[in-house]
Amino acid sequence: MSLLVKLAFRNIFRQRRRSLLTALSIGGGYFLCTLSFSLTEGSYNNLINLFTLTKTGHVQIHKNDYLDRPKLYKAIDDYAVIGQQLDHMDQVKSYTYRTFAPALAYSDDGNRPAQVIGIDLTRERATTLIADKVTSGHYIDNNADSDGYFQAMVGAGIAESLKIGLGDDLILISQGADGSIANDIFKVGAIIGSSGGGDDANVYLPLIAAQSFLTLEERVHEIVVTLDDYSESEAFAEAFSKKLAETLPGLAFSNLTISTWQVVEVDFYNSMESDKRGNAVALAVILFIVFIGVLNTVLMSVLERTREFGVMKAIGSRPATILSLVTIETTMLAALSVVAALFLTLPLTYWLAHVGFELSEPLDVGGIMFSAYRGEMSWFVFGVPFLLLVFFAFVISIPPGIRAARILPTQAMRSF
Amino acid sequence: MQQITFVRGLIVSGLLLTTCVMADNDIDKRLDKQRDAIQIINQMEALYRGDSSRADMTMIVKTPHYQREMKMTSSAVGDEQSFIRVLAPKKDRGIATLKLDDEMWNYFPKINKVIKVPPSMMMGAWMGSDFTNDDLVKQTALTDEYNLTLNETETEYIVTLVPKELTVTVWGKIDYLVDRAAMVPIEQNFYDDRGKLIRTLAFSELKQFGDVRLPSRLEMIPLNKDGHKTIIIYDELIFDPDDVAPSVFTLRNLKSRF
Repeated sequence: MSLLVKLAFRNIFRQRRRSLLTALSIGGGYFLCTLSFSLTEGSYNNLINLFTLTKTGHVQIHKNDYLDRPKLYKAIDDYAVIGQQLDHMDQVKSYTYRTFAPALAYSDDGNRPAQVIGIDLTRERATTLIADKVTSGHYIDNNADSDGYFQAMVGAGIAESLKIGLGDDLILISQGADGSIANDIFKVGAIIGSSGGGDDANVYLPLIAAQSFLTLEERVHEIVVTLDDYSESEAFAEAFSKKLAETLPGLAFSNLTISTWQVVEVDFYNSMESDKRGNAVALAVILFIVFIGVLNTVLMSVLERTREFGVMKAIGSRPATILSLVTIETTMLAALSVVAALFLTLPLTYWLAHVGFELSEPLDVGGIMFSAYRGEMSWFVFGVPFLLLVFFAFVISIPPGIRAARILPTQAMRSF
Repeated sequence: MQQITFVRGLIVSGLLLTTCVMADNDIDKRLDKQRDAIQIINQMEALYRGDSSRADMTMIVKTPHYQREMKMTSSAVGDEQSFIRVLAPKKDRGIATLKLDDEMWNYFPKINKVIKVPPSMMMGAWMGSDFTNDDLVKQTALTDEYNLTLNETETEYIVTLVPKELTVTVWGKIDYLVDRAAMVPIEQNFYDDRGKLIRTLAFSELKQFGDVRLPSRLEMIPLNKDGHKTIIIYDELIFDPDDVAPSVFTLRNLKSRF
């Protein structure tokens, strides 16, 4: 075997120019593959992180079909008990509670529709990037002022159209969970996001203020969980659902729905998946072209070395040995070219991952502003194209190898 | 021959004359009936109002998800002006509704804001109940905006109201059932334009209010919303009270702290 490897290694360098050309085509394939992997994985990872950390979290818990058909009364009772169960789960990084209600926001200058979101201020801050979205004012607290008014964090769009600023009154009118008309005044404590952003129509209230405003005492609409890694979402959702069924078999918890971010943001997820499939097709085309080239090279080299293989057979080499020789040669060449290409790819991927392309105009992907294309550096990005290329080089070398193995010494000797 | 023709002519004209007289009688009857229907509906509509009135009411809203009880007081003059103020629960205390002719305003003391109910919201729920804003505002124009037909049974008048061509309404038909003996409403059934029963307003529990005996319990049941129901109970109803002055029905009074 070692003799075969030695032979194969030596053979690569016998026809340097041809080997170099093959190596270039394989290396180029690897380069393109890796960069494309890096960009897709990287930009989608960024997007998913952005998405999950600004908005959805990794896993959400709702009552019944709240996610599809939100209704004020579809609220989770005893949410703190579920929170305690979440405390016992290892993968959980953080979790928070929210309530939602559509409302009409008023100021002296007019009115416009708003989405009221009651948030557990401390938990929300630990779970999502909400505190980073405050563009003016300070992240509010749970305390009402001396007149009994709670503070609110108001989306930039609402602040702009109602012409209200920090410290101004914001009047909210909505429907309470008991059918009453919810109406109250809040003080603008912070402006969230910038005009045209995803938080434009949102009004964030302290959870206790929102619960009393909406007559939702001790109830919330949503529990948002973030995990150490978003890829654990599905496994966690399943595990937690089992755990709830075991530890809290009471009826009260039987109608909870645990959804991963893929379900919560199903439109985004689907468009991401189809985009990834599109990329895979493009990559397959690149690889196909690369391997047509490789096949051509290997076939040429087998043809050129007909006499050589004839001699080998004449002096007693078995067909299997010759087949192995050809495949080892090609696989080795592929591996060497990929390693060489790696030296070129590494710094570029590093640059992509850390600097990337800034977009002149931020791209709105499902409500999240996406401002830079960044790559990803991981074993996956480098490893998968490596294995793909080496494996296909091996596969593609088999037919020429068989051809070489079938050569008859007598015919080979007669050829030039 | 001529004689025969003359006699025949006489008979024919006699017949014609009789038919005409009969037809006249029929029309008269029908007109009478229509007048009766209008009179009945007007009488029913005025029952709870008098020339002026003041009422204390309890409203109970029941849904599959919650039940809510509110106490309120109302004042009305004729069918043009009415004023309702919520007394309890504490959370909603002071919320008030003013109706002047076809216009309507709500006042919310917590935010010190008067909000005019826009025409598009007229079919919206009033205070989260199964009564619409329109029920409060326009209910009274029934005899002007609907064509009425009267049917009678031994115990009931059944007035069927079909909207006139130019009437703007969501109802295709309203059946108004009136107790003949007591001359009080029993039930109103509201149908859509396909003839499907949408909601029922039932009157029950006769109670003496001053000189009149009236149903003190009104139950509105929307049939398109399972498990929903609104009950209004008249706790007290005073006709021609002293404290219902024109100043009650003003935006200034609506906004007054209470």
